[in-house]
Amino acid sequence: GQNAMFLFHSISPYPSLLPLSFHHHSEFHWFCFHCQDQAEQFFRSGHTNNWAVLVCTSRFWFNYRHVANTLSVYRSVKRLGIPDSHIVLMLADDMACNPRNPKPATVFSHKNMELNVYGDDVEVDYRSYEVTVENFLRVLTGRIPPSTPRSKRLLSDDRSNILIYMTGHGGNGFLKFQDSEEITNVELADAFEQMWQKRRYNELLFIIDTCQGASMYERFYSPNIMALASSQVGEDSLSHQPDLGIGVHLMDRYTFYVLEFLEEIHPASQTNMNDLFQVCPRSLCVSTPGHRTDLFQRDPQNVLITDFFGSVRKVEITTETVALDPNLVGLETRVPNDEMATEPLKYAEQLPVAQIIHQKPKQKDWHPPGGFILGLWALIIMVFFKTYGIKHMKYIF
Amino acid sequence: MAAPLVLGILVAVTVRAVLYRSSLAGFISERVEVASPLNAWKRVVEGLALLDLGVSPYSGDVFHETPLIIYLFHFLIEYSELVFMITDVLTAVALYLAVQDFNKVVFKKQKLLIELDRYASDVAELIRTPMEMHYIPLKVALFYLLNPYTVMSCVAKSTCAINNTVIAFFILATIKGSTLLSAIFLSIATYQSLYPLTLFAPALLYLLQRQFIPVKLKSKDFWLYTTQYAALYLCSLVVIVCLSFFLLNSWDFIPSVYGFILSVPDLTPNIGLFWYFFAEMFEHFSLFFVCVFQINVFFYTIPLAVKLKEHPIFFLFIQLAIISIFKSYPTVGDVALYMAFLPLWSHLYRFLRNIFILSCVLIVCSLLFPVLWHLWIYAGSANSNFYYAITLTFNVGQILLISDYFYAFLRREYYLTHGLYLTRKDGTEAMLVLK
Repeated sequence: GQNAMFLFHSISPYPSLLPLSFHHHSEFHWFCFHCQDQAEQFFRSGHTNNWAVLVCTSRFWFNYRHVANTLSVYRSVKRLGIPDSHIVLMLADDMACNPRNPKPATVFSHKNMELNVYGDDVEVDYRSYEVTVENFLRVLTGRIPPSTPRSKRLLSDDRSNILIYMTGHGGNGFLKFQDSEEITNVELADAFEQMWQKRRYNELLFIIDTCQGASMYERFYSPNIMALASSQVGEDSLSHQPDLGIGVHLMDRYTFYVLEFLEEIHPASQTNMNDLFQVCPRSLCVSTPGHRTDLFQRDPQNVLITDFFGSVRKVEITTETVALDPNLVGLETRVPNDEMATEPLKYAEQLPVAQIIHQKPKQKDWHPPGGFILGLWALIIMVFFKTYGIKHMKYIF
Repeated sequence: MAAPLVLGILVAVTVRAVLYRSSLAGFISERVEVASPLNAWKRVVEGLALLDLGVSPYSGDVFHETPLIIYLFHFLIEYSELVFMITDVLTAVALYLAVQDFNKVVFKKQKLLIELDRYASDVAELIRTPMEMHYIPLKVALFYLLNPYTVMSCVAKSTCAINNTVIAFFILATIKGSTLLSAIFLSIATYQSLYPLTLFAPALLYLLQRQFIPVKLKSKDFWLYTTQYAALYLCSLVVIVCLSFFLLNSWDFIPSVYGFILSVPDLTPNIGLFWYFFAEMFEHFSLFFVCVFQINVFFYTIPLAVKLKEHPIFFLFIQLAIISIFKSYPTVGDVALYMAFLPLWSHLYRFLRNIFILSCVLIVCSLLFPVLWHLWIYAGSANSNFYYAITLTFNVGQILLISDYFYAFLRREYYLTHGLYLTRKDGTEAMLVLK
């Protein structure tokens, strides 16, 4: 019965990626059992599209590694299938074309310049000074001015799984943006709650690679959020090896090992979240990565990596007919009676324009009191005659 | 001399009219250096609008002008541009007439002192001749009219121009010797902004000089005249304040105007010294420091009166400068008023020591004000320290300017009585040092 409910929801007007065979409102019969299992797996995660918001919050050349972190995650996410139209990439500084970059138009993630994560198909949506706390929160909550182009919007719906990756410099309870402002864990938690209330996500995976990153997910209170951080409160996240040719540290340790882990994932992988939690143990990372799954409804064992990092379209072509639950018929007839007979609601007039434009203007013009004017001019005339003598009087009158 | 003055007035009026019609008018009226919370035009308009809606303009923190300004602009608000141009012209004409009269007085006094043989023998080059003094009134008027500070203040329609006019009329009345008018204009100037109270001393000294009453504490004449002047001044002040009560039937204007000037609650940045200090001061100490800062304005009157009792108009100039530097909400309009007097002391040029550096400092600071404001408020790359640094430098430049003129004036007076080439007891050349 539950599976049929999912089916019904999926056909309603959401931009979904369901295959053509499920578009008709005709009767389906589940005839085979292993198809039923497959169908169950079909509805296991409940998401139909994937989005990624990748944010690098630091500028200046010596923060090269943060940009490299973000670009590595971007690369993995694109490789696993999320298109640029579903990725909001925010980079606070331009490392590839930085005048201090000895290898222009490249951003390397591995020593010896083995992996160039910049490539020639990187699309940065928010660049340089546009990466601010305000813009980030507006992207998340969707409160964006109407003139914003589509590439800068997070057009997610309640069937979207969103990956949010943030990196930069942080502290206990905050993340620093651009060396001039910060976002607190409370703000972030409230933004996610707004997203939940506006039905902007199905499930959210939040990964943060900063010092004391675990403090950023402490305050989350909305359902369906899973969070990972590179270090606990009181610990610093350390960077990986420096490259002597470029002169800066190329990556942070946590993201380096996550990237190594992700390089092994392909769109059909069945690797689940528990493996991601094991990435970068203390011996390699020096800090203790943390994670939080109490708000998440599914067991992390059942959550595939590709549920968040890839855009896996669930297409199951089958030639066998599948029998649906007979309860589905009752559901269809129940729907037309759903209209409640309540009295029609009227919009309350905030500003009774009709009343205002028809009333005469009440101009209460202020006039100085007569006594004042009299007193003032009497004084002025007195002073005038005292100075210049009474003899002028006869010339005036 | 009337023709060049009229020409100057026409040029000034044209410049102002052109600026009024250009797009700079809006930009200039927003500048904090030109419009302070006390004299900004949009606050005047706001106050009058509140009055039209039946609300007292002094409720709330918007309007800090005196009721006379309400009365003046109630009728003249549509012609505000004309009003401000006319006030500038009136100020310039008043200064012109005042300086003309003053030059005659100076020349007469110099002649008297030469005949009395009070001057040393070798000071011929320091004596002032009518020829060099001929163009000074015109220069004073033009210095006021064409000063960029005045033009900006006029274009921004800041009521500082009206304050300047009242002070100019006060100076004219004082120099003409009319006790009554001088007291009345001084009381109007004090009523407008509190600080011209300190101009009581130089005006009194000048009027005493004119009446040939020597300044001796035991002399009966001196005390009689002083009480007469003080009584006239205080009575007219009381009359004006009481008359303002009858405009709105409330005493609201006293805390709004004088309370505001004295307690400095509004800390919008301006070219003065108060805002930064009080922005970062703890509440506990703010009363103490407000008192200290306000006393600083009134404090220099008595020492200067003691030192400069023979030269009251120079004292007036120094006092005006001190008011415009140390007042709680200075604007460039106040600076323009005392700068108009600089041609009067152009004969001191040879004794000025730092005039080049100071003029550079003042010009550079004036140019840097909008730059650092933009960097602080709009670009976000600077902070209030940058703007305050320029404010500080500007005020230090002004203070050094006044002290330079003070030094030059006293040095000239010393040379006049002791001779230009000073020698020590053993015949070598001596240097004059101001201690």
